[in-house]
Amino acid sequence: MSDDLKDILSNNNKDIDNRQLMDYLNDQLSEANKHAIEKNMANDDFTNDAIEGLQEFDSTKHIASFVAQLDKDLQKKITKSKNRRNKRKWKDQPYTYIAIAIILLLLIISYIVIKNYTIIK
Amino acid sequence: MTDKHYHIEDNELLQRFYADKNNEWLGILLQRYTLLLLGVCMKYLKDQEEAKDAVQQVFLKAITELHKYKVDYFKSWLYMVAKNHCLMKLRDKGKHSVEINERIMATPDEAENKNSYLEKDIELTNLAAALQQLNKEQQECLTLFYLTKKSYNEIVAHTGYTLLQVKSHIQNGKRNLKIILLKQATVK
Repeated sequence: MSDDLKDILSNNNKDIDNRQLMDYLNDQLSEANKHAIEKNMANDDFTNDAIEGLQEFDSTKHIASFVAQLDKDLQKKITKSKNRRNKRKWKDQPYTYIAIAIILLLLIISYIVIKNYTIIK
Repeated sequence: MTDKHYHIEDNELLQRFYADKNNEWLGILLQRYTLLLLGVCMKYLKDQEEAKDAVQQVFLKAITELHKYKVDYFKSWLYMVAKNHCLMKLRDKGKHSVEINERIMATPDEAENKNSYLEKDIELTNLAAALQQLNKEQQECLTLFYLTKKSYNEIVAHTGYTLLQVKSHIQNGKRNLKIILLKQATVK
């Protein structure tokens, strides 16, 4: 009881699992779990606004497909920026790569010289 | 919606990003909030497609801003970014006027200080007495919600208030309780 009383002022809200949130929207939770989500809503404006907004969607199927699409787009953006970053790395360190090329060239030349030398001998 | 990095806390992901500036960490972190962001954007913009576009823009903004400065409380910061983005869109449409300050968004919000009441170990008797000082509706809703653990719908059925009224009585009741307790603390 005393802990329940303290809950009124507490803002300690454990993050809600997305699946649990979808179950809440689909009204598939027990009263106890429903209450847990609503307690989170009362303590956290982010969760409260989000759930109120999600409840305005035509159907939860739309929500799921929007989320999947958004996640996919985000991944694409991240991969693109990663590729750009890698390209930039090449541009930022040209001397390293020039040095590697020179060393390889020297190795090839040495190999050819040594090979020719042994054949002449 | 599965996350193989589930065991890694938000803050840890953010620290990893700050350490190597690899956007992949931000990708994992932001994906955790796609659903919530979509909900927030929908709440303000009231249009599914617009809400979706807004989330994409919030993602972009978050990635850009996180490269520029350090954020300590990611979740509340992200919420403010999304909310302000939507309010700005509404303002552009002439629906809303709002003052936006991005720097304020990066500072820790008051959420972290809100628990100070508990940290100071409030006397429960004070809390119970303060509860009695609230108006009947707020007292009833807070008691049903926190003490008897009723869901919103059960409270609606029990009291006859609308869902909106129940939520508002709970929010206002909480706020008034804090004010009463603060007053008591300053008097002492």
